[in-house]
Amino acid sequence: MQLETNVTGTEIPRGQLWKRFKKQRVLHLFVGLGMIFLVIFSYTPMFGILMAFKDYSISDGIKGIFTSDWVGLRYFDEFVHDYQFGKIVRNTLVLSFLKVIFAFPAPIVLAILLNEVKSMPFKRFVQTISYLPHFISWVVVVGVSYAFLSADIGLVNRALLEAGFIDQPLNILTSPNYFWGLAVGSAVWKEMGWWTIIFLAAITGINPSLYEAAEIDGAGRLARIRHITLPGMKGTIVVVLVLTIGSILGGGLVGSNFEQAYLLGNSINNPTSEIVQTYAFKVGLSDGRFSYASAIDLIQSVISVILIFSSNFIAKRVSGSSLF
Amino acid sequence: MDSTVYLLLSIIALTMLYPFYYVLIASFNKGSDTLLGGMYLWPRSVTFENYRIFLEDPKWMKAFLVTVARTVSGTALGLLLTSLVAYALSHRDLLFSKFYFTMIIFAMYFSGGLIPYYVVLRSLGLLNTFGVYIVPSMLNTFFLLIAISFFREIPGELKESAHMDGAGEFVIYFRIILPVSMPLLATMALFMGVGQWNSWLDSAYFVQSENLRTLTFRMMEIINQSNAPMDSVAVANRPGGGVTSFSLQVTSMVVSILPIICVYPFLQKYFVHGIMLGSVKG
Repeated sequence: MQLETNVTGTEIPRGQLWKRFKKQRVLHLFVGLGMIFLVIFSYTPMFGILMAFKDYSISDGIKGIFTSDWVGLRYFDEFVHDYQFGKIVRNTLVLSFLKVIFAFPAPIVLAILLNEVKSMPFKRFVQTISYLPHFISWVVVVGVSYAFLSADIGLVNRALLEAGFIDQPLNILTSPNYFWGLAVGSAVWKEMGWWTIIFLAAITGINPSLYEAAEIDGAGRLARIRHITLPGMKGTIVVVLVLTIGSILGGGLVGSNFEQAYLLGNSINNPTSEIVQTYAFKVGLSDGRFSYASAIDLIQSVISVILIFSSNFIAKRVSGSSLF
Repeated sequence: MDSTVYLLLSIIALTMLYPFYYVLIASFNKGSDTLLGGMYLWPRSVTFENYRIFLEDPKWMKAFLVTVARTVSGTALGLLLTSLVAYALSHRDLLFSKFYFTMIIFAMYFSGGLIPYYVVLRSLGLLNTFGVYIVPSMLNTFFLLIAISFFREIPGELKESAHMDGAGEFVIYFRIILPVSMPLLATMALFMGVGQWNSWLDSAYFVQSENLRTLTFRMMEIINQSNAPMDSVAVANRPGGGVTSFSLQVTSMVVSILPIICVYPFLQKYFVHGIMLGSVKG
């Protein structure tokens, strides 16, 4: 995102600065209103990170963040030695990386397929339908999964049983073996069409004469995709990949890991569905262990920030495209 | 080759569309009959019983009204504050604008996490109030940046002539900027509206009062109930009728999806431009 900001102030004599500020005072009043919201809802919680190093009790209110006693790294230590630590960290990483591997290429493939369609009404029809799930809440998506996959009333299980492919219904929703597939599959279903918008726009930016020249040279459809379409999308692919990896612990492009793990998770698939965020939520808001949950949250944020910067750095090195 | 492409895309489109269709026909089918299975294309024993139960249940109706109220007021206030701040920040000669932008961008990348956020809401007295749905989302940093770049493309002459006529910033914002920014306002309104409509996390985290539950939260509740490991389908079986927890679930899903489908045609006109403006420049 590029924003030109006019830096002024330093070169301007003080008296003039004050005069200009007075002239702009109404505008500063507007901005100030927004900054109040930022300070309250974004910056104050950032100070709350201190809670992770303190013995915070909710009865202390907001000033307890500063007044409660320091405990150093006690809560980090406790998390690392938690008997669920290994499982939670593994689940978080596996779910995130599986999503990058499967959900990141999906919209690229869809965009390339759509680009090969000559019939405009058909193209528009498929696009319109593929965006739709993006606007539906995760709760509905989970409801749909239930209607299709549950062991007793799920449409898929019923159909497979009727057709004689299986003798026993598959416990897709209540078995640790299926959770990762279920989460990645539903994420692809929900967000694939949405991210196709950006890749299609990138393809639209490719000079059509390249395709004409390739056709004259006898390049087939696959050759054109490989040598023109994909290289033409390269910049966009890199930027989207950087975005994906930076937000991978939250679920990357394909929606919230938390919402999925929270809604699709249950006591039986818990061995694969419990992730850092759901665990922090449980010990934090449900059990009221605020400092412990903050420490867990903080570890995750730090890893995210490292991922953002390192993926951006690598993208800059490899391709020259980057986010910032 | 061509036929492969068309076939693949048709399969993808069908996979996206059919789940919605199935939910729709299940909501118009007798609940106890749906459980027998084998219904794929049409409702087998058509009934409006599911919708009657839904509409008569004060719990669902209340949740529906809360959701409508938060969607309308949340969107209106979000539009107002976000566009007002964006208008001020769109002035290229605004003093300290670098400081303001740094504050905004930093807040987009870093957050304190859920627990400190909860503590802040608690000390503001927002927990367990309707305000918790509205107030924290009034300034949308993502749309703030989009709105700034949109406002910057409005010809400066429009504002200057108003200035000459002695109009203040507030008048210019309301009388000149907003009226020529309909595409932007429509995009923001639709996205904020859909966000408010779909939201359930804040209802689950920050609200205990049964009177403040949202439609999506209620839906999650009933899905979780019937999705529990010890699954018993007849949990919500009402005496006499064929309504099951599953048929109520699909009915609530239709009610929740319907408004989105209704605004979808308008949504689509704008969002392609919106997402391109806001996110990636390849």
